This record gives sequence, structure tokens and C-alpha cells, in this order.
Amino acid sequence: MGITRYIVRRLMFSVALVLGVSVIIFTLINAIGNPVEILLADRPGITQEAIDAISRYYNLDQPPLIRYFVWLWNVVRGDFGTSIVYNQPVGDMLFTWGLETMKIQIPAILISLVAAIFIAVTAATRQYSRVDFGVMSGALLGQSLPGFFVGIILILVFSYWLGIFPSYGAYSTRRMLMGSGLIDGLWHMVLPVAMLAFFNTATLTLLMRSNMVDVLRHDFIMAARASGLPERRVVYRHAVRNAFIPVLTYLGILFGLMLGTAPVTETVFTWPGLGFLYIQAIQQLDYPVIMGETMIITVMLVTATLLTDIAYVLIDPRIRLE
Amino acid sequence: MTEPGAARPLLDVRDLRVHFFTGAGIVRAVDGVDFAVQPQETLGLVGESGSGKTVTSLTLLRLSPRPARVVGGRIDFEGEDILTKSEKAMTGVRGKRMAMVFQNPAYSLNPIYSIGDQLGEIVRWHEKVGRREGDARVTELLRLVGITDPGARLRQFPHELSGGMKQRVCIARALLCNPALVLADEPTTNLDVTIQAQILDLLLELKDRFRTSMVLVTHDMGVVARMADRITVMYAGRICETADARTIFRSPQHPYTRALLESMPRVDHSYARDDARRLPVIAGRPPNLIEPPTGCRFHPRCPEAGEECRRIMPEPKAIGPGHTVSCLKRGSSGVAA
Repeated sequence: MGITRYIVRRLMFSVALVLGVSVIIFTLINAIGNPVEILLADRPGITQEAIDAISRYYNLDQPPLIRYFVWLWNVVRGDFGTSIVYNQPVGDMLFTWGLETMKIQIPAILISLVAAIFIAVTAATRQYSRVDFGVMSGALLGQSLPGFFVGIILILVFSYWLGIFPSYGAYSTRRMLMGSGLIDGLWHMVLPVAMLAFFNTATLTLLMRSNMVDVLRHDFIMAARASGLPERRVVYRHAVRNAFIPVLTYLGILFGLMLGTAPVTETVFTWPGLGFLYIQAIQQLDYPVIMGETMIITVMLVTATLLTDIAYVLIDPRIRLE
Repeated sequence: MTEPGAARPLLDVRDLRVHFFTGAGIVRAVDGVDFAVQPQETLGLVGESGSGKTVTSLTLLRLSPRPARVVGGRIDFEGEDILTKSEKAMTGVRGKRMAMVFQNPAYSLNPIYSIGDQLGEIVRWHEKVGRREGDARVTELLRLVGITDPGARLRQFPHELSGGMKQRVCIARALLCNPALVLADEPTTNLDVTIQAQILDLLLELKDRFRTSMVLVTHDMGVVARMADRITVMYAGRICETADARTIFRSPQHPYTRALLESMPRVDHSYARDDARRLPVIAGRPPNLIEPPTGCRFHPRCPEAGEECRRIMPEPKAIGPGHTVSCLKRGSSGVAA
């Protein structure tokens, strides 16, 4: 009973939040001006009549309030409009480009989660040892290095020098033509996934290590040892699950924002993903794409935080959703 | 093997030394400690904070925390030296032959596992039994520690229990595998006074029922008076005096034991702020264990200390049946230190 009411209330709040975000983004885009005028200004051979005609085609001659509600009504019906740069339905674009982003983000998050737990446990159980200092220094370095730098180093080493992995794109043209894309697709994923996983692992390791160090100091850990449970079981069954609870929040954010958090990776590796598209759309004032993508990211984040809260209840019996 | 009348002690600690190797120096937390626990006996290990009693009890399970290291001595338990056992062999001692009840029940249960889950895990691990048998054993123990409706409690989590209840669960956890020795480290310090009495009674009752021995670590003379058969008084990592409880209270010999007893408030006495009716205190501060006092550790605070106490570290001397004291003024010999 309690949990259903909680979820319903949260969903209602989420709808309000998504609407609020859409209003803000819409207002900001409109504050820039008429995109058709801005994009076509000073182009030779473009007359004011042409600009007006194109603006009319995209309904840009209507007052903003009307256009917002038209946009909203269309979105409710599942129509995100048409990209003014690609001239494709935004909904389809979000879907195909979104899949490409998820293809590198989901493996990166999962790999970094497993790696971070293992590394953090190794470090925390040897607190203040050389291993621990090594892990901490590595993780701090990983957090502070600029993304493009790591990406370019990866390309330099693994593509340029060693020639193992491709440096750009999600498929090679030849493979695509031949139609056997699976191995080829995985091969292209390796470097971008490695880059994303590198940064996630650094942050997750620091977070998990400090939680582990904290949990390992608790009496119930000593009590588990004093009960004769072997150390591995004490660490993995009794400590890790407690230390993981705060990490869950960060994990929720990673998943929730994953569609929008890889623009640097996608740019460095020319990966056809949503982060890449987002940057492009902003540069070219492709407002239906900007609006649509912002909506998708907001909905994802709101859903992920709700799922995180529910996961909390499953993992920690002390938490009640009210 | 065992001679009648001269039963071998269950636990025999000889010259135990546990030092902490810290950046600031070596902390001699336990520095030459001897004591023994007979079968079905309760030994009270008494001393103020920092006297090394908790480190001693953790070391008995070989769980002294880093950076502590055992640098000398023997711990014979059930005829085997704990200190030379493999880590794997120790997991068969901990919780099975020797178990521990911790000071703070609020923190000594894992918050995210149910009572049945975490206690059952221990039974299943040690006794190699299935979930059904494990749960039956846990339920039985919960009933014995006075928890009502034990079957339903299995599914409850620590945060759903009161402090006294949690400590009962911790006692049940210690007794799950019928251990020969229970180490109770300040088991009532964090409980309400009324609950304290109940928990102490429960420990006495279960100790008889399970025929276990107990080492009761406490700073509270009132608790040992009620519970202990024999008492060992610790000061600054050394043993001052060991005797049966009656002797410790009726005729304490070591100046520290006397000072400790005099500083206990009495109900039949009225205290005031003036010098004559003030509650006696032990002058000075507990010593720094990185550079402990030379000679007898207690000499800077001892009213009877003489010149030799500053130079010579006293060794335990038997001054009566089962009564040993380490004090040069009571006839101990010693070595310059």
C-alpha cells in the first residue's frame, strides 16, 4: 500500500518536473531568436521571402505560446517533430542514435561497476598499504584527466601505434556492405567503452573504497569475524552490501544521465550517439532535436531516480518509502 | 591424562605481549600478561580504559586490529596454542569454541540482514547443517535468551529491536554453537541500568546451563562483584593482582586494586565537596603507553611507591591460595626495567 502510493505521488511529481524542464528549454531556445533567420542570415541568394516561407513551414511565424502547446500536443501523441538539419522525424533519430549511445554506455557502466567493487575492496581491506595508495592515486588521476586527452591517448596507442582497434565510427563501411556486423560492431565499441569505463571506474572506486573503509570499522564486521566466518565472506557478504548502498545513488545518476553524458567520447571517436547529436543540434539550432533530446534525458533521469529509491528499499531494510 | 583435583585450565595465557606499531611509536598495549580460566569459571578482567583489557580479549580470538601485533607469549586454549594456529583453523575456533559478546549491541549486528539470516549463517557455517536445522537452532537460542515469539523474530531486522533485545540476540549468537568460552566485553555498558541487571542475570543463567566459562571484561567493579568467580586487575597493559572475587573485595593487596575499590561510590556513604567527605580518586593520569613509566607501571600514581618501584618491574608473586600480586611492597621480586 505505502509503496504504491509513494510511486504514484512520485510519478505525478515527475510529470510536473518534465513539463517544467520543457518550458525552460523552450524559452531558452526562443530567446536566441528565429533559427531559420540565424542559420540563413547573410547567405547569398536567400531572400526575405524564402526565410518567411521556411519559417512558416516550421510554424515559426506563430507566437511562442501557441508553438509550445502545439509541440506539447504533438509530443503527447508521440510526434517529436522533424529535424531542421536532417529533415528526419526526431523520434526516429532519438531512437537510433540513442541505441548507439546505450551500446557503449551500458557495457561501460557495468564493467566499471564490477571493476570498481573489486578494486575498492582490494584497496580498502589493505588500508594505507602501497596497494591502497596506488589505487587512490590512480583513481584521483582518472578523475582529474580531461576526457578528450584519455580518448586521444587510446587512439594513439591502440589505433595508430598498435593498429588493433578502429579509431572512429560504430561500423566499418566494408562490413556494413557485407552485412556481417556483429564482430565488427563489438570491435568498434572497445575503445569508446574503455574510455567511458575508465572515468566511471575512477569515480566509483573512490566512492566505494571510502564506504568500505567506513563499514569495515564497524563492530558488526568484527562480530562476524568473531563468529568464525571466513574473511572473504565477512568482506563480500557483510561489508560490500553495506558499503554499496551509497554507491547506488551514483549508479542511478550514471544510468539516468547516460544518454547525455558521453558527448566527449562520442566526439573523439565520431560515435553516432545522442551526445554527439546534442552538441551538433545546439550548434545548428536544430530546436526540435534539442527539445526532444532534453525530454528523453529528463524522463530517463526521473525514472532512474525512482528506480534507485525502490532499489534502496530492496537492499536496506531500514529504509521505508513514505 | 588430566590429574584429578588439578584440572588443566581451559584457557591459559602466559606472558602475552601485544604492541601497536604506530607512526608515533610502539604502543605497549599488552605487555606481559598472565591469567588462566578454569572450566565453567567466570573471570573478571578489570581495568580502566586503555589498560589493555579489550585488546587482550580480541587477541584471544586472534582478532587484534592492525597495527597491533602479538610480539610474545602463549595462549593455550583447550590444550592448543591459539597463536600458532592457521587462519583457517581459527575460523573453526571463533564462534564455535570461543565466542564473543561485544560492548555496543546497537552496532554489533549487521543492519541489513534479518536476525534469522545472520545468526543462521553462523550455525550453518559451523555445524554444516541446512537452513531448516539452522533456523531451529536459532529459534531455540532466541527462546533461551528470553525473546518472546522467537520464530517471528527471525524475520525481524536489528533496527526493529530495542537495545536490550539486541544484546540478547548478541548473547544468543555467541552461544549458537555451544562454545567452551564466552568473552563478554563490557556487555552492559551501553544499556539502561534496569536492562543491565537483566542481561547480567541472563549471562549467569546461560553460563550455568551451557556449562561455559566466561571472561568478563569490564571497568565496573559492581558488575564483577556480581558475576565473577575470580578477578584479574589490569593496569597499563600489566596484571596487578589476581584472586578470587571475595579476596579481591575483602583484602585487596595491590595499591591499585585498593585505589580502584576506594574510588567506587557506596550507597551507605554520603559524599560532599569538602576534602574529608570527597569520593576518593586515583591521583594523576593513566600512563602513556608509548613511553610507559619505568619500573612498576603504577608507581607515579601509587601512594606507597618507594625508590625501587621506579627502577624494578615487579613480577607476579603468589601470596595465598590462588592469589597473586605484582608489587614490590608485597614481596614481589622483579627485574630492572
